Amino acid sequence: MLELRRVAKHFSGIPAVDDVSFSARPGEVTGYLGPNGSGKSTTMKMITGLIEMTYGHIWFQGKPIEDDLIAYKRRMGYVPEEPYLYNHLSAVEYLTMVAQLRDLPGRQSSECIDGLLRLLALHDDRHASISGYSKGMRQKVLIAAALMHNPDLVLLDEPFSGLDVGTAMVLRSLIQELAARGKVVLFSSHELDTVERVCAHVVILHHGKIVADDSIERLRSLMALPTLEAIFSQLAVEQDTGLTARQLADLIHA
Amino acid sequence: MHKAIRTLTEKLPLDFRVLCRQFLLRVIDLESLSIQADVVGFLGQFAGVLIIISFVFVLRLVYPILFMDDAHTLAFLREITWPMEQLLITTTFLLTGLIAVASWDATFPDRRDIMVLAPLPIKSRTILIAKVSASATVLGLAVLALNLPTCLVFSALFGSLHGGGLGVARYFFAYCFTMIAASGFVYFTVLTVQGMTTLLFPRRIFLRLSAILQLAAFGLFISVYFLEPSTPTTAAFTRGDNAWFVECSPPYWLLAVMNQLNGTLPPELNWLAMRAWIGLGVSITGAALSLLLCYVGTMKRTVEEPDLVPGAGGLHWTPRLGSSLRTALVLFSVRSLTRSRQHRVTFAFFFSIVLAIALSTLRGELPLGRHIPLSMDFLVPTFVMMGFGAFGLRSVVALPISLTANWVLRTTQVCPPEKYIAASRLTMFLLAILPVWLIAAALAIPLRPASLVAGHLLVLGLFGSVLVELCLLGFYKVPFTCSYLPGKLNIHVVFWGMFVVYMTVVVSIAEYENHALRDPHEFSVLVVLLAMVGAMLWTLNRHRTKHAVLYFEELPEVQITTLGLISIPSPRTRE
Repeated sequence: MLELRRVAKHFSGIPAVDDVSFSARPGEVTGYLGPNGSGKSTTMKMITGLIEMTYGHIWFQGKPIEDDLIAYKRRMGYVPEEPYLYNHLSAVEYLTMVAQLRDLPGRQSSECIDGLLRLLALHDDRHASISGYSKGMRQKVLIAAALMHNPDLVLLDEPFSGLDVGTAMVLRSLIQELAARGKVVLFSSHELDTVERVCAHVVILHHGKIVADDSIERLRSLMALPTLEAIFSQLAVEQDTGLTARQLADLIHA
Repeated sequence: MHKAIRTLTEKLPLDFRVLCRQFLLRVIDLESLSIQADVVGFLGQFAGVLIIISFVFVLRLVYPILFMDDAHTLAFLREITWPMEQLLITTTFLLTGLIAVASWDATFPDRRDIMVLAPLPIKSRTILIAKVSASATVLGLAVLALNLPTCLVFSALFGSLHGGGLGVARYFFAYCFTMIAASGFVYFTVLTVQGMTTLLFPRRIFLRLSAILQLAAFGLFISVYFLEPSTPTTAAFTRGDNAWFVECSPPYWLLAVMNQLNGTLPPELNWLAMRAWIGLGVSITGAALSLLLCYVGTMKRTVEEPDLVPGAGGLHWTPRLGSSLRTALVLFSVRSLTRSRQHRVTFAFFFSIVLAIALSTLRGELPLGRHIPLSMDFLVPTFVMMGFGAFGLRSVVALPISLTANWVLRTTQVCPPEKYIAASRLTMFLLAILPVWLIAAALAIPLRPASLVAGHLLVLGLFGSVLVELCLLGFYKVPFTCSYLPGKLNIHVVFWGMFVVYMTVVVSIAEYENHALRDPHEFSVLVVLLAMVGAMLWTLNRHRTKHAVLYFEELPEVQITTLGLISIPSPRTRE
């Protein structure tokens, strides 16, 4: 289980994530939602160890992650929000480098990479430079890099960004399959329909604070709202969307 | 002055000003700069290095005169005029060549320019003029920094030889014109070659060919500078064995133009000046045609090119170099160095100097035949080559390949830091020490006694390993992932300081080795000493890295930069 206990991150004294506590259990997909700038990606980066917490604790499988960060990193796979890759490498070179950095056995990892590239429809372009890849192709490389070592904790920050419909459907099923196989999956997305279909449990963040942490079913019944989108709008969207749209149109015509 | 420039620039069209500013900023790759970098400071320091070089030339002329009477001064000035003028012209050639190579393709529209600017209501003509203006500004400032002190002093001294104030004014004009013509000649020739390659070949082939051409141009500029004979006199120009070199060497043509404008060119060398005028005409016409045709013809072609270029076919073999981590990092370094134009060119700069020193050494020794004894003339250049190789690679690995992609190295860091530093050490050995060592061996083995060569190669290898350990002191980073701090490191001080200290050390070691190679006892002392220094530094580095944390610099999450079109303080926020 992944547990965040009173985790906070302040930038120049301004809280980006403020006193966040929640748990993500194995066997279920936990959705992590919030509007832009609410602190989702900052939380994800603290969980991966990319940025340090201002205070708080993160526990995985009953141990604080800082106790043995190397062992923790071996068990974690991460798809970041932006598809930043080393553009001068090809997909196969990038994935091989990641496998070597993770110290995976050579033959096994090359077979795994080959299989992942075939299943993600990248095999034909595996030797082409990543600089020419579309956003969706880069996203596939990131997904392959995050999963090739069979991690116990899967952190997905906007994993559907740029993916075509077919691959998005495959990924949606894959996320459920990973959870069904006992992995801890923390999934952040703006696509509320997908979250509603995939996640059993959601955490909603607003201005760096948690405003909801429960199963979608319970939230629906507690708030008497039919959809996750309606729940999210009520909890985390402050503006009148119709009014803002009208104002934008007026501004262009001014 | 500042106000006048501002008033002048404000009269220019806004779209031109915006584009020109953007293209000027792109001369420096913004991602290679540290977030704490001071770009203006860096450019100032670069200009400072050029001005110091110019003052060295001035000193070389003025210092001997201080101890001469009038008659000797006149004779000295007459004797040294052409060699000094030739030195300045070749140095301007080299500087322009280096800038042309460093800003390769900058004057032509790339895919990014086309994709961003084509949908906007901007004429191709405006983009072209803005690009040319940005390149001309950078080039002009560099040439000015290199020539300002020399122009003033040389005009005063050499000009006064030919008729007082009028002579000084005439020399000043001839000097300025020649240096502008020299830099223009080199820059326009490079543009012509690039433009013709763009027009003649499909873009995919052009991209590969362009990289090779860039390196070839680099090697050519460095080689010409180091290998060109530097004692021009009328007799030397007209001597039969020099004729082919004088005929083919543009710096000599420009020297003739300078003297033609100054009224000091012997009539029998007018043909040389004529060559310069023809060459200038051809290069200007070629560059203008290339640019026009490229902006008219290739912009559309570039958009139509597919994004995804298929990878090279054939064997995709990746050798194992020890542990998985070591293999990953060494291959990452090799690929970064060979595939990134910025890194390749920077490393080529240092390696061109290594090759030029090697060629220069070989040129002096080939006429002497076989069995040449090992002397200081050979030992010092090999140590200097080793220094350029090691420190050159160290400065190249400090340029990041992509700061935003460094997260992957952090999330996959499952080995202790000393393993990463060991991989960096192997990279330094394979990419810097081994090639220089092999070049030194190739220079020494065919011409010198085998036992002495073996002894020197052992010393050189140990010296190289000491340099590697020195380069790794405080280097708790993976090559090509940290970022460069221009403006924060006083390069003008470090450059000259390093040069003086390094040369002192190298000459001392070479002198000792020169004796030691003939005395087994002294030789063993030298080998043991170098081995001990290397081992101590290795132990120190290993001990320090055990407690170190690997450092990866990353760009701030959110960075807003303004175009600076209006005078609002630029907001720069970080999440």
